[in-house]
Amino acid sequence: MKAVRGALIASAMILVSCSSTRQVADLGFRPPEGSYKLIVMRPDVSVGLLTAGGIVEPRDDWTDAARTNVLQAIATRQTGHGGVTTVAATRAEAGGDAVALAELDRLHTAVGTTIQAHKYTPLTLPTKAGTFDWTLGEPAVAYGKATGYDYALFFHARDSFSSSGRVALQAVAFMGCMVGVCVMPSGGQQAAFASLVDLHTGRVVWFNVRTSTVGDMRTADGADKVVAGLLDKMKTGASLQGKKVAVRE
Amino acid sequence: MTVSRRGMIAGGLCGCAFGTRAAARIAPGAMLPLVDAGYRPTDADERGMWRDCDRAEEELAASNLLVDAPALHAYVSGIIHNLLGERAAGSRLYLVHEPTFNASMAPNGMMVVHSGLLVRVRTEAQCAAVLGHEAGHFCRKHNIAGFRNRVHRQSAMAFVAVGSNVMAGATAMAGGNGRSWIDLANNVNNGLFASMFAFDRSQESEADAYGLRLLAEAGYSPDAAAAVWQQLIEERQASAAARSKHYRARASAFDTHPPDAVRMADLSLSAREIAPVPSPRRDGRDEFRRAVAPLRAMLLDELVKQNDPGASLYLINAHATDGWDGTLRFYEGEAYRLRDAPGDGATAARAFAAAVVFDDAPPVAWRAHGYALLKGGHGEDGRRALARYLDLDPHATDAAMVRFALNQ
Repeated sequence: MKAVRGALIASAMILVSCSSTRQVADLGFRPPEGSYKLIVMRPDVSVGLLTAGGIVEPRDDWTDAARTNVLQAIATRQTGHGGVTTVAATRAEAGGDAVALAELDRLHTAVGTTIQAHKYTPLTLPTKAGTFDWTLGEPAVAYGKATGYDYALFFHARDSFSSSGRVALQAVAFMGCMVGVCVMPSGGQQAAFASLVDLHTGRVVWFNVRTSTVGDMRTADGADKVVAGLLDKMKTGASLQGKKVAVRE
Repeated sequence: MTVSRRGMIAGGLCGCAFGTRAAARIAPGAMLPLVDAGYRPTDADERGMWRDCDRAEEELAASNLLVDAPALHAYVSGIIHNLLGERAAGSRLYLVHEPTFNASMAPNGMMVVHSGLLVRVRTEAQCAAVLGHEAGHFCRKHNIAGFRNRVHRQSAMAFVAVGSNVMAGATAMAGGNGRSWIDLANNVNNGLFASMFAFDRSQESEADAYGLRLLAEAGYSPDAAAAVWQQLIEERQASAAARSKHYRARASAFDTHPPDAVRMADLSLSAREIAPVPSPRRDGRDEFRRAVAPLRAMLLDELVKQNDPGASLYLINAHATDGWDGTLRFYEGEAYRLRDAPGDGATAARAFAAAVVFDDAPPVAWRAHGYALLKGGHGEDGRRALARYLDLDPHATDAAMVRFALNQ
């Protein structure tokens, strides 16, 4: 009994600190090369405090720091890839019609969330099994035509940190584990995803999700780890075969 | 399932939360504003909330939900200025296409007014009553207080839950039945959960009272607030009756707002407290009517397409107490045509015929009148009405289809 409990706690501890990325792509996808023009849409970054009861309290200073670091990391990481990359810190910097771009950005958020819901959970859609053919459609093509970009990269990241109350709650829960009733509330965590849209077809051609229970996007190093984990090591669609594949960092 | 003794006792204690009526009336004079002109948040959680609101506002500002009506926007902004004075400088108004009865004011000053509000209130004072309520939430910083309330209570619930796990485990190890601890925790947490809603209701009562004060200070009749609720209750009753349902006077532990009737009674009492003798105050019936007039057809169109004929017809008839016109008659006909119950076709046809008598009848009224006549076997008159429609609106999207019908 004791041994089993010890093993459970040990495995919980191992699970508690890990980072993983899993990417999926259109079958014909090849990472952009040559003289392409890429626009990185204003990254959607939010950092908050995980309160004891599980509500995340948004923090503007942490969010600002993380956003600045993420923008810096993307700009640095993309310079070595060939092509011309523009990183838009604001929507206005992404060009095109302001309202149409806002609509496109929101459409992407909806599509990206759907991809996460149906490619990254057991809730798979029968018509999407073994394929990856989500699209932003005509609005994305129109935006590409208006601005001259070939690809748009979208980047979303959420980070949270346990409050002292949450840590205290985990301490009490740990006592429960010692007497055989073990329900451990989770601590703060990172969840981020990036997706690449081909602006000639409107299709989401590549998608990557990264989750982590360690790291701190408020620091330059922490933000760089998230960006590197998501954007480096982009695989071809042929190697992924329409399946999501975990890539070690 | 058996409930332990400890669980029963706790259940009895926490059961009180379910039985309590809505919070007692709050006197309008008893509150101070917590926000002055140029207010900026300093606490970390409040700053974070403002940042989220700024993001939401950025999305709303670049959205096709906005109603394109600069003159009406300026008029409603003027009402907000009347209510908030200098503090109105920190507010920004967004009129949105949303046919439900509502408005909201975010802590960062983003005021959102639904088109469904504009179609329901009939005077400037009534509009100000609703905006004053939202400004009441704003002035009393209800958003951040509500957030803190949820954070604290959920934290307490989390500790109760994990604490009971520890006690249950320890009791079981000592050979006892640990289940009763879990029952106790569930009962305590049910009470805490319900109390979150009670907090929301007390904020609504406070916003009602504070809004009434803003309304009176701006020179509007405080009776306008109760009038809004009276009409809303009647609308909901009409809606329920049309669907053969009973109107449910809301009063459950999980309501976020006090029951309508309680609110109305409290508002009337508070209005008497502010103005013991009803005195001539600004009502703004004509001003409001003039400001909304250019959008009236669009607002009524959104209303009848809600598929709630009881509410639509109630509101159309309420508007008609100020006099029928071509637009109102046309949408009365539309409400019947869309409901399509036995006899509605004939009623709609009569309404369309009445609509086209007025000079302000929209072109589509002639189309509806024409088709109704064709259906009734009055081919010649029907074709004349359809031709009139094409004369009035030669580039209508369905012009080609109507020409085809005329040539049959």
